[in-house]
Amino acid sequence: MTATVPAPAARRDLDETAAGKRAFDKKAVVPWLFLAPGLLLALVFKFWPMAKGIWLSFFDVRPFLGDRWIGLDNYTRVLTDHRFQDAIGHTLILGLGQAVGAIVLGFALALLLEGQARSLKILRTAVFLPAVTATAVVGELWRLMYYPTSDGLINSGLHFFGFGTVQFLDNPNIALYSTMAMGIWIWAPYNMVIFLAGLAGVDRSLYEAAAMDGVSLWQRLRYVTLPAIRPALMIVLTLATIRGLRVFTEVYVLTGGGPAGSTDVWMTRAYTLGFTRNDIGGASAASVVLLCVTLLLTVMVNHLRKRGEAR
Amino acid sequence: MGDRRRRRRLAAAATVAGLMFGTAACGSGSDSAGSSDPNTLEVWTRSNPDSAATYDRVFAAFTRKTGIKIDYQPVINFDQQLQSRASTKDLPDVMINDTALMGSYQSQGLLKPIDPASIAGGDQISDKSWTSTVGVDGKHYGIPYSRQAQTLMIRTDWLKKLGLKAPTTWQEMLSVAKAFATGDPDGDGKADTYGIVAPASAQNGYAAWWGASFLWQGGAQIIKPAGYGTYTPAMDSAAAVGAVTWMKDNLFCGRKGIVQPGAITAVTGTATNFQDGNAGMYMTGPYNITTFDATPGKDKYEVVPAPAGPAGGDVLADGENVYLGARTGKDEQELALAAFLVSPEGQKIAMTSVDGHQPVVRIPVNSTLDAAKVRNDARWSVVQKAYETASQQFPNAPDFAPIKQDTADALNSIFTYCGGDVRSQLKELNDTLAGDLKDQDLLK
Repeated sequence: MTATVPAPAARRDLDETAAGKRAFDKKAVVPWLFLAPGLLLALVFKFWPMAKGIWLSFFDVRPFLGDRWIGLDNYTRVLTDHRFQDAIGHTLILGLGQAVGAIVLGFALALLLEGQARSLKILRTAVFLPAVTATAVVGELWRLMYYPTSDGLINSGLHFFGFGTVQFLDNPNIALYSTMAMGIWIWAPYNMVIFLAGLAGVDRSLYEAAAMDGVSLWQRLRYVTLPAIRPALMIVLTLATIRGLRVFTEVYVLTGGGPAGSTDVWMTRAYTLGFTRNDIGGASAASVVLLCVTLLLTVMVNHLRKRGEAR
Repeated sequence: MGDRRRRRRLAAAATVAGLMFGTAACGSGSDSAGSSDPNTLEVWTRSNPDSAATYDRVFAAFTRKTGIKIDYQPVINFDQQLQSRASTKDLPDVMINDTALMGSYQSQGLLKPIDPASIAGGDQISDKSWTSTVGVDGKHYGIPYSRQAQTLMIRTDWLKKLGLKAPTTWQEMLSVAKAFATGDPDGDGKADTYGIVAPASAQNGYAAWWGASFLWQGGAQIIKPAGYGTYTPAMDSAAAVGAVTWMKDNLFCGRKGIVQPGAITAVTGTATNFQDGNAGMYMTGPYNITTFDATPGKDKYEVVPAPAGPAGGDVLADGENVYLGARTGKDEQELALAAFLVSPEGQKIAMTSVDGHQPVVRIPVNSTLDAAKVRNDARWSVVQKAYETASQQFPNAPDFAPIKQDTADALNSIFTYCGGDVRSQLKELNDTLAGDLKDQDLLK
């Protein structure tokens, strides 16, 4: 008799669990099904090659003769190579300059082009064009603009104002900064779009209140706009950091790392090592180092963001 | 409302997933359609679409003759793609690429050794050409396919206008270059003409490739054989210092306009000043003849031997070899293709231009053919003579890729910093080259 008493409760529990499980299963499986193609592609084309790259970085790679395990030799070689050391400096200068420049210019463009007017929409589209044009094409255009005689667009402008001809790409002291200017031009519109999305969410009443308090433009930017778009700023900063470190096409197309290696960055060195010198192990090690540094910086930016939000 | 939005999201997600699969399918669909078919050879050449059109004619003729099909892939970024394929241990059956890369490929085990006697018609290839396909272990790893040597292309209309003759020595070349830069040879009243085109960027080793002829003419060598398959670096010699100093002082750090603006960051693709009509001389390979016949025009320039330096007039010779990919298991078909490619018929098809497409054999390796007669163009005899009597090749038995790149890096740096000390910079290069040879166990 007693045995029959708890049975319904137990069955009810079981039923509830089964029902819950069914609901859980259904909820859990559907998104995964939709994610599966993307994940599968990422696994095959991204994570597997990445894992293979990390694995190869410990070998002297000779596919047809058998790879030789050499431990950390590739890393030691890459990190002690003076050209890679120079490239670190160039990458940091270029990455930092490009990131800051593109953020400042992108923010300025967003402030200037914020609004609903039709003309602004057309202007925004025009300004956004560099971000959707192939970097190689942009590079070729800038090579023409930088042409080191008065036939070049920029030099002809300088001539008009009475200045002499500038060797934008052939002077090793300024070639890196010329490359940086092109990078800023490419990426500022991309940042602008993110900032525009951020600005759209700013509470207008704050501006009105600020206007009533008679604050200056700078104070309005400093105390209203910037705090309001902090999430957008953090996204832009994270993207700019990653982009800055892995900069390649801009440099490869514009200067090829020259003159005299003055614009060589980490990725162009890794490319030369891998595809000109056929040193796949060394190139893999260089890429892994870059991956680690990028991860580290991204985690740091995220950490700072979270700390900022917690306050 | 929410349901509709959800349905839209689902539809969008499904579309995106479908597109991604579609794209992936498009990306992988073209590869080796018949790679497992023993009667189909996958062939790669380093070609743009223009020269690929000529290869198409060559392979079509081969298929008509033998019934062996060709899955042809013209590849522009050849080395990058080849390394990717090598990592999957699935190489093309046959590759046609530069001679100087043979050592690099062989050192990676990518190539099948070849017995010259196994190539029908191989005895019609000169010993000079066959010698250039010998690897460090004494075996042949390539079949010569096309050869070329650099010559000087010079604007005859400019020479005529300024009352000058084509130069035969470095000093004369410098005088002509100065006159081209300052004498307004195009008559537009502006100082917008230049003497010599120089692709002197270090990218892909161009500075070493273009500068090599000057090095040979100055009596220098980059590395030299030291017996028993070993080499020593030779860029600290007095001849090398002399040649590089002359180039630096006169071409890059001397009077403006001797070389085109932007020469030290220029590669061949961007050094277009000769066909743009604003530079008067270009020491380059004969593959440019077709291009230059269109612009500046066949009647505007001539092809002459390169001006001689203190040690002679040797120029850089290079070309292409046919390579057989390691472990492909289609020996018979591959040798049949190689035999056709070097036969008079195969070489003639590849030497002729149809619809203005670039020929892919420059100087034939088949000694029964004469480049000038096949093309009915006397200019090709200048190139053939330069190849046969006054040319040197990069040593191709060692892996020359790092050696060329290091030499290019050093030359580009010397030409950029005009205040530098050439002797000490070349000494530094020599030490680097010794390291490269040591890495390959080839340093004496």
